[in-house]
Amino acid sequence: MTANLNRPPILICLLALIFALGLDLQPPLANEPAPAGEQGQRKQTLSTIIDYHQVRGRQSQRGESGKREGELDFSLLGKSRMQGMTAFGPQWSNNAHLLWDGVVGDSMKSSFQVDSPGLYDVSIQLTLAGDYGIFLMTLPQSSISREIDLYSNRVELAPIVVLKDLKLAAGPQTIEFALIGANTKARKFQNRGYLMGLDYLQLTRKDRNSSKPAIADPIQETPNTPSPTSQDQEDKPDDPNTNAAAPHQKLNLQQISRFTNTFCIDCHNTTSEETEINFEIPSDGKSWQLDPTLLRQARDELADHQMPPDGSEQPTIDQRNAMVKTLSSMLSDYLRTHQVASPTAMRRMTRYEYNNAVRDLLHLRGDIFPLPEKTLRAFTPYFEPATGHSPRAILVGNRTLGKNQVERQILTGVNPFAIDLQAEGGFNNRGDELGVSPILLESLLRLGRSIVHSPEFDGYCGLTASLFSSPEPQNQKRTHNVEKERIAKLLERAFRTAIDDPTIKRYHAYFRSRFEETNSFRTAMKDVVAAILASPRFVYIAEASNTSDSKLLSGYEIATRLSIFLWSSIPDEELLTAARNGTLLDPEVLDRQTQRMLVDPKCHALTQNFARQWLRLDQLVTAVPDFDRFPRYYSRIGCEQWKFGLQMMIEPLLLFDSIMMEDRSIMLLIDSNYSYRSDELQSWYTDELPFGDHENRNRFNTNQQRYTKRKLTDRREGGVITSAATMTMTSSPLRTSPITRGAWVATVILNRPPPPPPDTVPPIETDDREIESSGLTLRQRLLQHQESTQCATCHAQIDPLGFVLENYDAVGRWRSSYTSGLEIDSSGELFGELKFKNIVEFKNALLQHPEFFMRAFSEHMLSYALGRELTLADEPTVNTILQRTLKSHGQFTTVIREIVQSQAFRYQVDDSGSQEIR
Amino acid sequence: MRKHKLARRSVLRGSGVAIALPLLEAMHRSTPTEAATQPVAPRRVAFFYIPNGVVQTAWNLAEVGKDYKLSPTLKPIESVREHMLVVSNLDRIKVAGTDGHAQASTCWLSSAAPDELSPAGYPLKRTIDQIIADKTGLETSFRSLELSCNPYEDNRESIYFDNISWFGHGHVARSLRDPADVFNRLFRVEEHVNSSSVLDLVMEDARSLRPRLSTLDRHKLSEYTDAVRTVERQITRVRRRQDDIAKLNPTTPIKPWQAMRRDEFIQVMGDLMILALQSDLTRVATLMTGPERWGSPLNVEGWFDKPIQHHSWTHGQHNESIRKQLEKLDLFHLEQFASLVKKMQAIKEGDDTLLDNTAFLLGSGLSSGEHHVCNNLPTVIAGRCGGAIQTGQHVRYSEGTPIANLWQSLAQAMGVEQKSLGDSTGLINEIS
Repeated sequence: MTANLNRPPILICLLALIFALGLDLQPPLANEPAPAGEQGQRKQTLSTIIDYHQVRGRQSQRGESGKREGELDFSLLGKSRMQGMTAFGPQWSNNAHLLWDGVVGDSMKSSFQVDSPGLYDVSIQLTLAGDYGIFLMTLPQSSISREIDLYSNRVELAPIVVLKDLKLAAGPQTIEFALIGANTKARKFQNRGYLMGLDYLQLTRKDRNSSKPAIADPIQETPNTPSPTSQDQEDKPDDPNTNAAAPHQKLNLQQISRFTNTFCIDCHNTTSEETEINFEIPSDGKSWQLDPTLLRQARDELADHQMPPDGSEQPTIDQRNAMVKTLSSMLSDYLRTHQVASPTAMRRMTRYEYNNAVRDLLHLRGDIFPLPEKTLRAFTPYFEPATGHSPRAILVGNRTLGKNQVERQILTGVNPFAIDLQAEGGFNNRGDELGVSPILLESLLRLGRSIVHSPEFDGYCGLTASLFSSPEPQNQKRTHNVEKERIAKLLERAFRTAIDDPTIKRYHAYFRSRFEETNSFRTAMKDVVAAILASPRFVYIAEASNTSDSKLLSGYEIATRLSIFLWSSIPDEELLTAARNGTLLDPEVLDRQTQRMLVDPKCHALTQNFARQWLRLDQLVTAVPDFDRFPRYYSRIGCEQWKFGLQMMIEPLLLFDSIMMEDRSIMLLIDSNYSYRSDELQSWYTDELPFGDHENRNRFNTNQQRYTKRKLTDRREGGVITSAATMTMTSSPLRTSPITRGAWVATVILNRPPPPPPDTVPPIETDDREIESSGLTLRQRLLQHQESTQCATCHAQIDPLGFVLENYDAVGRWRSSYTSGLEIDSSGELFGELKFKNIVEFKNALLQHPEFFMRAFSEHMLSYALGRELTLADEPTVNTILQRTLKSHGQFTTVIREIVQSQAFRYQVDDSGSQEIR
Repeated sequence: MRKHKLARRSVLRGSGVAIALPLLEAMHRSTPTEAATQPVAPRRVAFFYIPNGVVQTAWNLAEVGKDYKLSPTLKPIESVREHMLVVSNLDRIKVAGTDGHAQASTCWLSSAAPDELSPAGYPLKRTIDQIIADKTGLETSFRSLELSCNPYEDNRESIYFDNISWFGHGHVARSLRDPADVFNRLFRVEEHVNSSSVLDLVMEDARSLRPRLSTLDRHKLSEYTDAVRTVERQITRVRRRQDDIAKLNPTTPIKPWQAMRRDEFIQVMGDLMILALQSDLTRVATLMTGPERWGSPLNVEGWFDKPIQHHSWTHGQHNESIRKQLEKLDLFHLEQFASLVKKMQAIKEGDDTLLDNTAFLLGSGLSSGEHHVCNNLPTVIAGRCGGAIQTGQHVRYSEGTPIANLWQSLAQAMGVEQKSLGDSTGLINEIS
């Protein structure tokens, strides 16, 4: 993306204006989901956009806790941008500041976040230079103004301005710098105005021991430990999806039938041959109102403006919203009275989980075998969420696509079993797709042996002294007791349950027999471990059939669910203790454990295992942009060919990492003002010819390299959707594939996977140049091909989500027109209502209606957490999670903590005598 | 493809697998359960799967009987046509609700009737290879062998696209993709033997787990206990055969499969399969040349300059230039099949050959990928399966004849009597 390409100028200016004028009109931490307009319509009202960058659950614990970097922590709006300052000396914090310019009369308005109310000193570090102006700095909420002259004959730091003893409320604080003039010695910037530079702003808490920086919890008014019994009060705003509307009365039965008679029944009647859906009351009396699947379908299609179809009589907005609300409420009523959730089936661990579990059980220093699916290979450990700080630079390689980054073998002779494939539209941890075959059992039997007997094992294992070394010689009985104790302790951790005597005896007998045969304590104990690693009680995540009325899971079972969810591994000692003594059954304890686990580096599994699958990043492995059309995607080193995808793939994963580490809003996955990129990846986005004039050989780095956090000022960049990784893997070799992209957005971002295509699919030329030679754009060509209404209805939903990305070519680079010069039409609408002209407006639409993405993300995460497909019966659970997530403005930990607290996670499904609904 | 005999010490093509092949006739004679009147050599069955259907116009044969003219795609079987039975008009009924491709691979060998849906929506029950292996597997070291030449390292599709052999719904007989793994499994006797000591222990763990589980989960656990029993038997038999295996004197394949050409990969897998059948380590095998759909491009060296797009080509085949490419790809698969057939033919078993004692079947779960059609599934059977199959002809059945008839007939030829199977309506006359 070169700087002189078209921006959407009007929109950017408008946005800037609105942010400049009234960011505080809509306090981002308000309790209620943003209302979407006066009449409850999903109108595009820019003032409702919340700056999700303000959400941050964890502040950096690195001694700079109160420091807000101008270039990182302030919204870069309008003419604000980041300027690297290393050329002027090392004294600028984070080596950069926020730079702004304007003419006299303009002002730079922004805000910073105060996490908890209190008495603060506010220190402000500005920059001085020859073309900087005189500013009136105001903090309106504190009624403070200060005039500051930023002129100096050289570029240097200004004396720190300290505002003492300010009483600040929690939430965003507006700060404004009005350009009121300039020093007589100052020269003008670009012959018109003057600049200012803000390095950082630091808060020092005065009314509390300042050695312990306040841990921010921007949702303090939200109870941290939701109680599972608060089901009823949750229902009040029925469904956040539709609750964006102004409060409407629900319809009574008569009104309902008036609605269906007017708008539905012409097609959906008893005699219709076109559809089986029928809104007449049939003679057998089983009304559609008692069919939850149909209720949901009707509600969704009505809410999304899919029904009534174009050309039929349309309800007014109010009528539509009232009916949607009514259907939602009927659905909740039904679901509340019918236990219909599908149970989480027993399943074996995936290969990824098995590796982590063995690693943690035996306190190994690292993985047991190479896992190409563990994409990020960190060369210096960086994922430390306890610091609350995502580092500015991260040294990392790509195991999945960087073939040289996969360890050949970690322990000699230890080979992984086959990778587990993802379910369609889901994850690879579903019980019904995780089987054990004789071949897998052979692998497990072999694995256990090969791990403990590998030559590197003793140095790799942290239990060498406590488990494997032979105890002090004692009398036989005491020796046996020591052996049993060690075995019992190990079994409890491995099987995540209380171990009964027969089991201990059995394993001890095995130990004795091995000991007698080998006469080596160490070897015999290793053989015991080898057996454990193949035992069904280790490899299966099993829950006892629950006979209690409540169906509450046992402490051990919750502990296992939790550790598998967050760490893709088994519980650690602390969690196991809470399971053993039963305290984990207390929701508050469970929440504390969840939070503790979320600052453990082991939750990196949520990026490596969840995010990679959720984003379907594996598809980048086999993306093959045409070699001649996109030569720069390839680099030849020796006789090996490499794809640039190996660098692209890192970017969305590091964004996800940073959101987790700082506990930011998941909405940054839609639109972020920063991204982690290598220099080469930055060049890919910004340079006409990426990497300059490099030859095919050694064109780009394929090893580990430095990804630095870069401020993005152009909203066409940022978030996962427009990342080069996504754009490349959803393209075919010679052109973009809007339908693939649309289906990706529908599935990943909105969790509304389109139905499979019909059996007859008309072909489309595979090369956009071929299409354009006939004077048509790809969009026009695709439209030509959806003549039948059957195709058109579905594609009307999918295609706009792909066409809005047409400005990104098949390898993710921005283009303002097709190579033939034909114009790109990226306009469209979402759910029949939210119109957008380009990608920035599309992102705005998603930001204005965070409930769509937050719902989808919560559903994906819940499905991952439960290891099963969600059904209709999970909707109330999802609604509760969604409401709390909306309240916290998408804070990452909120999603996780709410999932853990949910009924679905903590209780077993009562499937006795219930029917399953899909 | 030139006909060649396997030398006593022959090198599996390109793989670096060097194996000395002793005559295994003694073993065949000693198979204790075969009655005296039966042929000495055991009967075997193997399935060669091609994904995404074929170009029907280039596949279909005009004439029936012995003197049919080979169609362009079937040209590669010319020299061995007397050992081939080509069958037209066999059908599978596609059911709505699951992906056409996932269903094609998953349900091709299924013993379920179309209206017999599993919870996942597939008419999926124990597949015919596993039903046969239930019997033949009692006599061999390995009950069955599942192989796949799926070359993709991305996880684009689910297990349903990548497997044709199933123990039952939700219980996949997952295929091995790495020739080195296949090799180790077949020939590393010590690995099997070393695993035996913990089997009692883990089985006891399974037993202690069982009473606490729900019915559904008990069913899941039986996958594990079944596997333990299979592995137990396997170890006993492998141990019994260890002298034979030692005589084979195999060495590990050196070349990683990732470095193999496409044809080389298929042939190496095929060679391992033949070796296992020939040495009676198993009598049932399935070999997928590739997974269904999996829209990732693939190099077919020496045949196509650019990576091929098998799946998307099938949908564009009414465009002539795309169809020609697709026909070439079908031809490539037939060449690979024919090459393996000739290798089997070159292996003597007494007066007969391995091919004579085997039914080696090529097929696909779709007839054409263009519209996901399942009528007239491409089907060729090589070998007489110990005299059970009347080869050397093309037979056209009446439209709508279920392919389950063929599976039932093959099961019968392998000594497994089934009253009916899935939606079968009878037997295939050419198989007895």
